[in-house]
Amino acid sequence: MKLNIEGLLVYFPYDYIYPEQYSYMLELKRTLDAKGHGVLEMPSGTGKTISLLSLIVAYQRAFPLEVTKLIYCSRTVPEIEKVVEELRKLMEFYTKETGESNNFLALALSSRKNLCIHPEILHANIVVYSYHYLLDPKIADLVSKELAKKSVVVFDEAHNIDNVCIDSMSVNITRRTLDRCQTNVDTLQNTIHKIKETDAAKLREEYRRLVEGLKEANVARETDIYLANPVLPDEILQEAVPGSIRTAEHFVGFMRRFLEYLKSRLRVQHVVQESAPQFLKDIFEKVCIDRKPLRFCAERLQSLLRTLEIADIADFSAVTLISNFATLVSTYSQGFTIIIEPFEDRTPTIANPVLHFSCMDPSIAIKPVFQRFQSVVITSGTLSPLDIYPRILDFRPVTMASFTMTLARTCLCPLIVGRGNDQVALSSKFETREDFAVIRNYGNLLLEMSAIVPDGIVAFFTSYVYMENIVASWYEQGILENIQRNKLIFIETQDAAETSMALEKYQEACENGRGAILLSVARGKVSEGIDFVHHYGRAVIMFGVPYVYTQSRILKARLEYLRDQFQIRENDFLTFDAMRHAAQCVGRAIRGKTDYGLMIFADKRYARADKRGKLPRWIQEHINDGSLNLTVDEAVQLSKHFLRQMAQPFRQEDQLGLSLLTLEQLESEEMLQKITQIAHQT
Amino acid sequence: MDEEPERAKRWEGGYERTCCVSSFPGLLWNMFHPQGGVCVFSHGQVRLGMMRHVYVVIDCSRSMEDQDLKPNRLTSTLKLMEVFVDEYFDQNPISQVGIITTKNKRAEKLTDLAGNPKKHITALKKAVDTVCVGEPSLYNSLNLAIQTLKHMPGHTSREILIILSSLTTCDPANIYELIKTLKSLKVRVSVIGLSAEVRVCTVLTRETGGSYHVILDESHFKELLMLHIKPPPASSSSECSLIRMGFPQHTIASVTDQDAKPSFSMSHLDSSSGPGLSLGGYLCPQCHATYTELPVECKVCGLTLVSAPHLARSFHHLFPLQAFVESPVENLQGDRFCQACQAELKDKSMFSCPSCHSVFCVECDLFIHESLHCCPCCIYCQTVP
Repeated sequence: MKLNIEGLLVYFPYDYIYPEQYSYMLELKRTLDAKGHGVLEMPSGTGKTISLLSLIVAYQRAFPLEVTKLIYCSRTVPEIEKVVEELRKLMEFYTKETGESNNFLALALSSRKNLCIHPEILHANIVVYSYHYLLDPKIADLVSKELAKKSVVVFDEAHNIDNVCIDSMSVNITRRTLDRCQTNVDTLQNTIHKIKETDAAKLREEYRRLVEGLKEANVARETDIYLANPVLPDEILQEAVPGSIRTAEHFVGFMRRFLEYLKSRLRVQHVVQESAPQFLKDIFEKVCIDRKPLRFCAERLQSLLRTLEIADIADFSAVTLISNFATLVSTYSQGFTIIIEPFEDRTPTIANPVLHFSCMDPSIAIKPVFQRFQSVVITSGTLSPLDIYPRILDFRPVTMASFTMTLARTCLCPLIVGRGNDQVALSSKFETREDFAVIRNYGNLLLEMSAIVPDGIVAFFTSYVYMENIVASWYEQGILENIQRNKLIFIETQDAAETSMALEKYQEACENGRGAILLSVARGKVSEGIDFVHHYGRAVIMFGVPYVYTQSRILKARLEYLRDQFQIRENDFLTFDAMRHAAQCVGRAIRGKTDYGLMIFADKRYARADKRGKLPRWIQEHINDGSLNLTVDEAVQLSKHFLRQMAQPFRQEDQLGLSLLTLEQLESEEMLQKITQIAHQT
Repeated sequence: MDEEPERAKRWEGGYERTCCVSSFPGLLWNMFHPQGGVCVFSHGQVRLGMMRHVYVVIDCSRSMEDQDLKPNRLTSTLKLMEVFVDEYFDQNPISQVGIITTKNKRAEKLTDLAGNPKKHITALKKAVDTVCVGEPSLYNSLNLAIQTLKHMPGHTSREILIILSSLTTCDPANIYELIKTLKSLKVRVSVIGLSAEVRVCTVLTRETGGSYHVILDESHFKELLMLHIKPPPASSSSECSLIRMGFPQHTIASVTDQDAKPSFSMSHLDSSSGPGLSLGGYLCPQCHATYTELPVECKVCGLTLVSAPHLARSFHHLFPLQAFVESPVENLQGDRFCQACQAELKDKSMFSCPSCHSVFCVECDLFIHESLHCCPCCIYCQTVP
């Protein structure tokens, strides 16, 4: 159908449209009009992708000078494939409607084997790729450097974007890394020797270039050709490479010294935590390495690798990592912390020293993106509370909206189970974690649910350790045996191959009527990337509130930083983080309007307003007073009723006019009125 | 609904009802609406099958002990099944039914395919004492049913109706292979679920062209069960064939008649119960065997014996009465009376027969379509020249 969105003609390749899609496109258009950034939350399964694509492509066609390119970032390869599929549909629709073959060029970068370096790709109208291509400084420099300023960047499934940013800037150094780095440095030295004998001119040429400094890069940045690289700070562009590392041999010697220093730092018996300036002071005192040459490390290494004409950079990943670390640590005095741990928390007897150079500020990695591109849209099914993202990513959005799902029937049923049948309060909090009564009641909940929920149930625990304890306890109490009478049980483990095997068998059991339960972990692989459509997930049970492991030093440092820099209280952030993961977990079961599922939050703390209020609006609006603080029995009664209601025949006609619209229905006055209420601005 | 006050008396019922009102206001199920929905005229002018062979599979697994139907699921189901069998033979006199139970991963035949309601009802009454254990097996039940159904002639329908309480099934082999077999044998499988929608049943019914419903409460259960009394539409591919049938004469002999000779009813030879010797009865036109009841297949010569009313009752499925046209009462000029009950039309809408244009009220319209199966005014017009 052809839509008119505030005067913009949008081709939409389907005959029917959801009201929230229309609303979403309205907000998106306003964002593009204002040339600003946006944060949009819309439940999964309501056609976010096609709404985004339709509108932005239409915008590009209408205002080719305003928006030249769409950069669509998604998380996983299957998601990227889905986007490409939708895009293809849209393009076919364009060809059919306008009758002209369009000259739109779309490009999907999914893996290295699909990578294309043809210059024409620079002119592609749409680029679809993974987050890392834009956020990870190592990759971004190769792939995304030359993307035009007048681009629209979309981050889909962006609820974890802050963690992606942090991961892309953090460096972990182990003994293994240092050993490999040592080998790299040796190789470099040998190569330099060889080159010196054969082609000394080359090295001289490099020396001359380095004296002139990084003028080229500076010119490029000033004229705004390239995307800024956070590893290449502004200040060093104005300066020449310092003399101490200008010749190749000196640089290698410098790297050796630095390496020895790091090795000595790793020989610790107790945990050390220090800031970047402290680290710099220490390195100066111990091995007389100044801040300045460290800052040029990354750039100097790149230059050397180019000069030596080394083809396979992958072999030199260790030395690249170390040099990046050197540059980062000397550049950013804030936002990073250094933690050296002599062993892992779980295995205190095995010495395995690690140096965590941990980024605490996600805005560092994403800053160039916000600065460079005129519109950046962050969207996902679960982004609540919306206002926290602009704060932690340090940007100012022009639109922030949360959309609800318009439903012809209430197909999701969130229940908060706070008590067992014996009135014992259910909670995964630390004090009651070992409590037998709580574990027994959790078991009872799963047992009762396994008897009334058809096909698949997915249960999430807060951590692997907690899951192992509970399952062991259930086994001793004989609960597991009773559950197995109703359904098969599969468990997610840390082993990826084992987990995918379990998943496969789980789906088979759901398919052939045996029924199955998948026990998995919030923040695990299952909770983030696997969809449980229809019968694969008729109920999701969230045992406990999935708080992150708070004893971790990295997390503590980050919380402190958030408090000091962004005035976000520790508890607020922890709750926000726990609730977004809980929402992700329960959201696995509802993947569209014809789908239905129970969402069971088994912890009394969910009933509190501060927790509940952080759930996405499309879940929150279905939680009423009758679904708070239930006992197991009450939850079973409600679930039984819900499942029977949902099993009644449901056809497309039932949705039409309510949650699915034809063009005429959409254009009716009354509907447009209703649509304005779908978007909830904050 | 009539059941409402009765249900409200039970405290659980009341509890369930309140949550029904509070949590699911979204959609009105038109099931209870007298006009729309599934209970009335779901087919317009569709030719329906006349001879049916239905196997009813009753789940007797552990979950049948659940007390959400009173007194429990099993008793409630068996009670409704008795009504079903009665109604079924009333509407489909020349069809047959068999009953299979499944529990503990096995399937057993409770009764074979037969046309005599009494036998089934006795078996159902006995089954109340069944102990419900283990899990049901869809595969074994279906397999058992098709062993018999596949030998049924092509002009009859082959149907399986499963009443499934459990949410799991324990199968010895891949059920999807069996679904393919069922499809190729043109067996139509329908399922009534007592608890929730199970994926494998959705696929099973969709593939074989059956229906899948899940009950909301006991009255809804009854409605859903009664849906299966009406024969399914005859598929165009089903064979048409001529069947020999006998219309036996009923002879009544008084005890005073000297010539009357008492004889054994052939249908009671194998069972010890029931009347043994009788004076009158139906005599097979071919071999003169005596029967006290119709319809029956002659034990001696194998002829199907029916009475004319039986045939007529089945016959209407072949030529169903057209749905009456609904229109507002205002359109009617002159006296506003229902042609059937002669009462004044008080409702907003009336129903008129498309062929004779007579006007009826809602109640009479229902009565005509559900029970009479012919328009009284059309018949009157035909008889009076």
